[in-house]
Amino acid sequence: MHIMAAIQRGVWALLLWPSLLTVSMPLDCKEEQGSLSGCTSISQEKLLDRVIHHAELIYRVSEESCSLFEEMFLPFPLRLQSSQAGYACITKALPMPSSKSEIQQISDKWLLHSVLMLVQSWIEPLVYLQTTMDRYDHAPDMLLNKTKWVSDKLISLEQGVVVLIKKMLDEGTLATTDSEQSLFQYDVQPEMLESVMRDYTLLSCFKKDAHKMETFLKLLKCRQTDNCP
Amino acid sequence: MKEAGEAILLLSLLFFMPHAEGTRYSLPGKPALTRCRSPEKETFTCWWEPGSDGGLPTTYALYYRKENSEAVYECPDYHTAGQNSCFFNKNDTSIWVNYNITVVATNALGSTFSDPVDIDVVYIVKPNPPEKVAVTVMEDKGWPFLRVSWEPPHKADTRSGWITLIYELRVKLEGENEWEMHLAGQQKMFNVFSLRSGGRYLIQVRCKPDHGFWSEWSSTSYIKVPDYFHREKSVWVLVTVFSAFIFLIFTWCIHINGHSLKDCILPPVPGPKIRGFDKQLLKNGKSEDIFSALVVSDFPPTNSSNYEDLLVEYLEVYIPEEQELIMEESKDLHDGCLKPKGSTYDSDSGRGSCDSHTLLMDKCGEAKEDERQTDQEGSQTGSEAQRQQAAWEQEALTYAHEDMISPDMSSGRVKTWPSVFSPLPQYSLSPLNQPSSLETAKQHCLSDSLFPPGSLSSYLTQPGQTTKEALGSSYWDFCSSNKQPHVLHPQLEARQHLQARSDVNISSIGHKEAPVGLQLPTVRSTEYVEVHRVNEEDMVLLHPVPSGHGHGKGCQGEDYSKVKGVDKNNVLLLQRNSMEEQVDACPCENRDTRGATEHCCSAQKSIPCIHIALPAQDEKAGNGYVDTATMFTLPTH
Repeated sequence: MHIMAAIQRGVWALLLWPSLLTVSMPLDCKEEQGSLSGCTSISQEKLLDRVIHHAELIYRVSEESCSLFEEMFLPFPLRLQSSQAGYACITKALPMPSSKSEIQQISDKWLLHSVLMLVQSWIEPLVYLQTTMDRYDHAPDMLLNKTKWVSDKLISLEQGVVVLIKKMLDEGTLATTDSEQSLFQYDVQPEMLESVMRDYTLLSCFKKDAHKMETFLKLLKCRQTDNCP
Repeated sequence: MKEAGEAILLLSLLFFMPHAEGTRYSLPGKPALTRCRSPEKETFTCWWEPGSDGGLPTTYALYYRKENSEAVYECPDYHTAGQNSCFFNKNDTSIWVNYNITVVATNALGSTFSDPVDIDVVYIVKPNPPEKVAVTVMEDKGWPFLRVSWEPPHKADTRSGWITLIYELRVKLEGENEWEMHLAGQQKMFNVFSLRSGGRYLIQVRCKPDHGFWSEWSSTSYIKVPDYFHREKSVWVLVTVFSAFIFLIFTWCIHINGHSLKDCILPPVPGPKIRGFDKQLLKNGKSEDIFSALVVSDFPPTNSSNYEDLLVEYLEVYIPEEQELIMEESKDLHDGCLKPKGSTYDSDSGRGSCDSHTLLMDKCGEAKEDERQTDQEGSQTGSEAQRQQAAWEQEALTYAHEDMISPDMSSGRVKTWPSVFSPLPQYSLSPLNQPSSLETAKQHCLSDSLFPPGSLSSYLTQPGQTTKEALGSSYWDFCSSNKQPHVLHPQLEARQHLQARSDVNISSIGHKEAPVGLQLPTVRSTEYVEVHRVNEEDMVLLHPVPSGHGHGKGCQGEDYSKVKGVDKNNVLLLQRNSMEEQVDACPCENRDTRGATEHCCSAQKSIPCIHIALPAQDEKAGNGYVDTATMFTLPTH
């Protein structure tokens, strides 16, 4: 178990580190505006605001999805034991600060990269979540729509963060995660209850990570504007 | 360490247990974690609700476990947050980490675990209320508004962006029940508009993290809005000016249309009508009569008539409709004393309410004795009629009373007779009660009416005024009574109106020609009467003057008297008509019919004497002349 975790962590580090350097995705005006010619560049503050807005929305929708899922599928006795169910968040391996003091010691660069890491690590699981949701007999459409929406928004958030990194940190473009190996392992045909529990854990973990993203970005913003009023 | 303490506690409890007296002890009740809150996302506190203590001293402990860790920790601080609470300081607080918290209640008998609760600090943030809420009144183009400003709770770190707070404030007027909510977003200042002048407002603010719970409302801030009447004053000025303008226009309109308005509101008292115009004639459709009636013999006054005659004052006598009905009932009664029903009067002659009709009737009855006396006397002096007539001219009216004033003979001018007619209304009731006397009185009155109405030159005084009402008949019958100042029956020739200046209705008893149509059994020749004297009882004693005329068929114009006036002693002043010659020229009787007033002998010789047959006996009420002859005939009945 511990060996596996260590290996996972190693893989994470290896994968994530190069991603910072590789240039796999042209992030220019074309990407952002969707137009081919003569796009105007966006200012850093505006981009940051937009990214923050994205993150806020994602968090809100994920929060709604989680509560919906909890009402629909999770029997009451299990709700309190979700954290004890043994399904850890997939991103728990990522080194994240857990207190304000720790976070305040993190540099801007690290904040941005952390955000990127989080975003990129969640793209894949959300897609998986959609497939599993369809398997449920009476999953409400609202839930499905929300998860779909979140997964789409996450992709655009990733793009924005990449551009932001490029602008703020003057670093080269970073590679997307599509070519990377997925860290997410899942069973092909899990049992219903396990599936439910896993999905629930997935949603709640994602909710938390979305909050993290939002917090990091807001902190970053206030740092940029030299202390928010 | 703590476990040792607990063990000691348990042992001590067990030691003391046997000493308890029969009380039942049990395990402590199950405590329950009520809530955990973090005010700034850096620390948090959990509170629990203890269950029953089971009768024994119970201790509580809180244990927690972080996610993905098996280590169990106990609450580091039980005291900071108060009773039954556990405070986690910054060092013990990890965000984005699930805490599994359990409270254990322990007493001597055992422990009871509460249900575990999973919390994540980032989801339990409830900040403190905003601080330093300041409210000021500011002005925007004369209209005030409130500016509310506040500070975030000092513990919340919004500067670094650790917590993002959104604010909400609520305002209400003092005394009202409902608050007005305003969401202020992330700003720390807000303007409240639409204030009530002079009102006192209460303001509160609260905040909420972007994902968390609303804080409590801050302490109330009070603010009083000053009166801003000056802004409204301009409106009042405008209203005042406008209303003044309207008022001026209104006044001007009133002034312009003052007369017509006055006529509308206060209809004027109608003045005299056309003299000689007889409405009844008009109704009868005889245009000849109408026009002839209109023609006044003495107009234009080419004769040597005194101009004073033109200035006669007429006293209009009027009989109301009801009286006429009464008259119809008792035909005989009315003939002498009463004037024919209102035909001779205009409806709008402005007569007073005095109803001389009934008055006269009553007076006729009561004055019989007086009449007799005078009649007797008159018979003696009948031979002196001519002399009397002449004397009348000079004397105008004969006075028995030394106080009498010699009136102007030239014209039958009679001043107002207010006193004469004042007693009139009192007679309104009596006549019906004395029908018999009335009959006689009437007859007497009628008999006197035989007198020459032809000499109705009294009309002449006012040319053209030949209206019916004009008592035109100029005959009046006043039946005087001893109870009241007597009213003479001057024999006014022709139509002599005494037009009272005051609105006095005098029902003229006048009537004209006695004989025609009259059914008076005893129609005596009209007699002149002169006032002999006025006795001490205010009775006017008439002195009959035999006129020498027979039945009053022909026009008789010589002997008659016209009422000059009434002096202050309620004496009827009679005046002889000075227009004798004209009278003689046209020996016509002046009779008042229902609607036609003939002015024969009204200085127009061309006017034929028309003896208009009185269609009804009752119409023959006097023409307005004072017919004392009737009274003299009373005793004969």
